[in-house]
Amino acid sequence: MFTTGSKFYLGISTLAAIVSVVFLITNDQVALGCVALLGLMVSAGIIAGASLASRDGGDTENATTSAAADPAPTSSIWPLALTLGLVVLIIGIITEPLVFVIGIGVILAALAEWLVQSWSERASADGKFNALARKRILNPLEFPILATAITGVIAVSFSRIMLAVSKDGSAILFIVIATLILVAISLFSLKPSIRTTTVAAIATVGALGLVAAGITTFGIGEREELVIAAEEGHYSHQECGEEKSKYYDKHVERTVSSKSGVIATVILKDGELTAQVLGIGEGQKQITVPRANPTSILFQNLDDTEHRLTAYLGEKPVAEGVTEDDLRCTQMIGKGGKQVLTVMIKKPTFAEGPYTLTVPGIEGTSIEMIVP
Amino acid sequence: MMSKAVEEIKEPTVKKRNPRRVVAGLAGLSGALFLASCAKNAPQDTWQPKGENAQKIDDLQRPVFAIAGVVGLIVLVAVAVVIFRFKDRGQPIPHQTHGKPVFEITMTVIPALILAGVGVFTARTVFDLAKTDDTEMIINVTGQQWWWEYDYPVQDGISAPIISSGQLVIPVGTKVLLRETSRDVIHSYWIPALNGKRDAVPGRVHTLRLEADEPGIYAGQCTEFCGLSHANMRMEAVALSKEDFAKWVDAQLAAYQSPTEGLAKEGEAVFIAQCSRCHQVNGLENANGDPIISAPEENVLAGAAPNLTKFMSRNTFAGATWDLLNKTCRDNVWNATSEEFGAKYLAGVSAECLNVADLRDWLRNAPAKKPMYADPTKLADTGGLTRGMPNLNLTEDDIDKLMAYLLTLK
Repeated sequence: MFTTGSKFYLGISTLAAIVSVVFLITNDQVALGCVALLGLMVSAGIIAGASLASRDGGDTENATTSAAADPAPTSSIWPLALTLGLVVLIIGIITEPLVFVIGIGVILAALAEWLVQSWSERASADGKFNALARKRILNPLEFPILATAITGVIAVSFSRIMLAVSKDGSAILFIVIATLILVAISLFSLKPSIRTTTVAAIATVGALGLVAAGITTFGIGEREELVIAAEEGHYSHQECGEEKSKYYDKHVERTVSSKSGVIATVILKDGELTAQVLGIGEGQKQITVPRANPTSILFQNLDDTEHRLTAYLGEKPVAEGVTEDDLRCTQMIGKGGKQVLTVMIKKPTFAEGPYTLTVPGIEGTSIEMIVP
Repeated sequence: MMSKAVEEIKEPTVKKRNPRRVVAGLAGLSGALFLASCAKNAPQDTWQPKGENAQKIDDLQRPVFAIAGVVGLIVLVAVAVVIFRFKDRGQPIPHQTHGKPVFEITMTVIPALILAGVGVFTARTVFDLAKTDDTEMIINVTGQQWWWEYDYPVQDGISAPIISSGQLVIPVGTKVLLRETSRDVIHSYWIPALNGKRDAVPGRVHTLRLEADEPGIYAGQCTEFCGLSHANMRMEAVALSKEDFAKWVDAQLAAYQSPTEGLAKEGEAVFIAQCSRCHQVNGLENANGDPIISAPEENVLAGAAPNLTKFMSRNTFAGATWDLLNKTCRDNVWNATSEEFGAKYLAGVSAECLNVADLRDWLRNAPAKKPMYADPTKLADTGGLTRGMPNLNLTEDDIDKLMAYLLTLK
């Protein structure tokens, strides 16, 4: 009695009617949603009626000769992938722009795959030719993208492992994994007759092992040293007093900045600060710093204990009517260590000065920074 | 019809160059270039050293050029001989030989020895020019688009910091060490008569030695392309006798004198309202008696604008691109004898000597006079900051007042 098409639309109409009743019960007043649902019920009902009247799908002759009678297309994962992409996209709108971009990428990839697959299945009556046509079009795109994605996943997994294990352990692990890869590749090259599937299987197992280890270590988190370092924020040099960070870069003098052209070298020796100024010489208690220009000063600690150099750059507003000392400082530097301190002073000395360089914990010695 | 068609199809005529004309043209060009070296008014001539460091360079470059010239001449003559002697006259191809070891080794060893000799003297000069341990005075030089700032730290003979721009003032016979840096892009400092060039690089301090033998003005030019007005980023080094330099220092450190009345007083108000946002004049105070501190870092991309404290003690403005002195007075200073130069320079700029036309143009619309990206429609690219001085849309009345005020800054 009911044709295939009419069954579908009758179902939609009935579902819309039920939902609209539930909607009416759960909402105090008739809302736009109820109007829409009732509209859906009516319109689906009209189409179902038209389908019944025209006996849609009841024509047995057309059912065997029309295009609709062609074999059903092969199963495809791309509609599913498209849906997944849409979900990721929506999550990205709410959360992170990166997730949104990934969603767009998945959608575009799924659409491209689905469209080409759909086209190729109708390219000819020969299934093998159709499959070849699909490969010819998509493989040049699929392989590089897939290879990039796999490489990225492996790299991220590897980095998670490196960040989770201890500093020394990471070095050993790196050597071990690199050696294993080298040995495996050497063995493969010595045995040209080895089957491709065997090589692929070993590579897949290795890659999956790496990814699994990456996921596990991601769950464990970074090693304690890195977590504390991030919490202390020592890279931003927040602490300019006598306090000592638990973790800090012990080799700051190896950084490129310490090799840069500096306006002066400030030396702490026997509890006394002096400046070695280019062109003037040692023992200076005053240095001239250009206004509104980042200027590098090299701090060298020749005392036995660790110290840092702190620059006082006037006051800075922190809230309405509230100011605090504007300080810049190096990290704690051990004996013989050096670190560059870059300062920028926007106002001349007579406006906000005096600007000074001091060492927290050592009183009575300082270098004056003159800004003309 | 046929013959007419054949007549029309002719071989394309190739216009043959007259070799004599080509040779004459090349000779004329070479002659003009050669005569250009005889120019008298060439303040940036690299062959006229006026100081110890430039002399060292000159002592090196003259023999090197001579050697290079002789080698070049030999090569040219050899090429010419080969071209004319062995040109194609229909003779049979001569017997082909492969290599002549003795000749080849000789022709390798001789240039190597020449280069080694030149290299030794070059290295010695480079190290001589890099010396800093005999410095008698230091001056900080900061480049920015498109002007140079000079500040003199406290040192022997200078009791408080001095800041200036455009003209570098140094004492004669004194080993001055410039400590160069930059606020924005790479610039290069070059006063050919006093030394070679040295780059001013952001975040780095480079040194350059200067020493002038005689009082006078020595012109220079930024030699590292630094943006739209690179060609307008000039500089002048002014060498004064030691006595005159001491006078200059005293004048620079003299207290600010606020005009008491008249157009200059009104100009001071215009300056405070329009110019002091970027330009510092040390000693200038507001109505409450508080010092006015400029904030160029809030208005200019480079973070600085010239300090105009003793503006009329200089002879140039706008990155030494224009003279503050009119032509007559400028020539009077530039052509002064060594004995007279100091007094003439220290007189500064008077109302009679002021280059009114260029300074008025500058105040009227600076970016129209010197390209500086100061286009208000493009400020979004730099976060609202201008490169160089913007057009302040001053009225002619305001410009009159400002000119009167600026003349008091001596």
